[in-house]
Amino acid sequence: MPPKSSETFFKSESRYRMLVENSCDIIFSLDTEGDFVYVSPAWEKILGHVPSEVVGHNFREFVHQEDIPRCETTILKAIQSNSTQEVTYRIRHAERGWRWFTSRGTPHIDENGILTIIGISQDVTERLRIEELMTQTEKMSMISGMAAGMAHEINNPLGAILQHAQNIERRVSTDIPANYKAASEVGVSLDLVRAYLQKRGVFDFIGHIRSAGMRASDIISNMLQFSRRGDSGVEYVDLSVLLDRVMKLAGTDYDMKKKYHFNLIRLQRSYDAGIPPVRMVVAEIEQVLLNILKNAAQAISSASMNRQPLITVRTGLSEGMALIEIEDNGPGMDETTRQRVFEPFFSTKEVGVGTGLGLSVAYAIITNRHHGSIDVRSCLGEGSCFTLKLPCRGGGNEQR
Amino acid sequence: MNNADIKVLLVDDEEMIRDCVSAYLEDEGFSVHCAASAEEALESIVSISPAVCISDMGLPGMNGEEFIVSAYALCPYTGFMLHTGMLYTLSEELQAIGMTADDVILKPIHYLSKLVDKIKLVAAKGRPF
Repeated sequence: MPPKSSETFFKSESRYRMLVENSCDIIFSLDTEGDFVYVSPAWEKILGHVPSEVVGHNFREFVHQEDIPRCETTILKAIQSNSTQEVTYRIRHAERGWRWFTSRGTPHIDENGILTIIGISQDVTERLRIEELMTQTEKMSMISGMAAGMAHEINNPLGAILQHAQNIERRVSTDIPANYKAASEVGVSLDLVRAYLQKRGVFDFIGHIRSAGMRASDIISNMLQFSRRGDSGVEYVDLSVLLDRVMKLAGTDYDMKKKYHFNLIRLQRSYDAGIPPVRMVVAEIEQVLLNILKNAAQAISSASMNRQPLITVRTGLSEGMALIEIEDNGPGMDETTRQRVFEPFFSTKEVGVGTGLGLSVAYAIITNRHHGSIDVRSCLGEGSCFTLKLPCRGGGNEQR
Repeated sequence: MNNADIKVLLVDDEEMIRDCVSAYLEDEGFSVHCAASAEEALESIVSISPAVCISDMGLPGMNGEEFIVSAYALCPYTGFMLHTGMLYTLSEELQAIGMTADDVILKPIHYLSKLVDKIKLVAAKGRPF
């Protein structure tokens, strides 16, 4: 038998065809207008469109609007430089959302002198998601460490402000005999000093120092959640019961009722009855869920939409973890906002409306305290969906 | 028990914290002593023999936990409280000498009047005589 060479191996077109048609990556050919001349069967497997919906159609019908200019530039560059070029962009899935692809395309002129771009596209959605998750974890652990350190450093000066405000009130109060004594020693009447302070609003000023200090202190104690350790108050909880309670709680919350008209939002529940109990600090998980629900209600009420406001709460099991999804059909958020929602002090709300700590505390509670994960996907104009994963009994991911 | 009969030893390396807490407690009539470190407090705790000792957690040198364990050995009738800026779970050593979560005070103290109530409570249970 003569030795095999790649030349003889690939002489057969059927072998090329077999390779192309069985490739897990999509192989495509585009004409100079950007219309698909050919797509391999992998397209249907990954993206769900049948080939007739793709061939003869322009790539712009499938690619995310924000990514079209980048693809156009890359195609032009490949043609002008007659070289292979690479681009990463989003393609619409036939049924659900967008998937990220990296394509490498090369210009090719066939025997009839017709120019096409032939390329190969790989689905990189999962890889990008993991990369983003890793970056996010790294960023959050750095920011969290800094926030906890800052909180600690601020506590002493804040304590002095709060406590000295109380001391000032006490040192002019009529309850302490020593105050009368000191006043008479310097030749003033304590009652007149008090009358003066009252007339000039000084008591109010001191009161404001105290209430401002208290507000700052609440922010600090939230920041301290980042460094929280320990196992106090851990119990096993049925997710359905917990979610029902939290939604009921949300319905009675003053802000939710008055500002965000929570009662006008349709709540759809879809619980998986087979989820084992989940180990958690109930108050903390309640805080996380309430926060997400509140944000959803706020987002829905802030936008004028032509659809019935809807929040869908789902539970399920995924890779041995209990899964909670809270999806709203509000205005959604752009990619830049989505990537930053878990950062402390990042807020899209007006100054004074939100501290920008809610979701960052939620992140710390879920990842640090419960060894779970929290993630969000969003589509501008369509809504957002938060996904929480928590270790559950028998799931194999439970930690001490 | 009259406040004037209750001796309080305050241990904190931050002067402003010693000042603001001691000013309030003195106005309430307590007899207040201050120390800027665990080492300084250990030198004087026997002669002061306080009913209540409030120690900061993050002290330079010996920390608050270690200080309380050493101080307890010298003054077992003193009631100890830990003042801390971080969320804190009581160590086994401190639990062993009878401290509970109620004896941990988080910084910043919002209402010093509540601290006064706690001091009275600790003083009442700490002294068998």
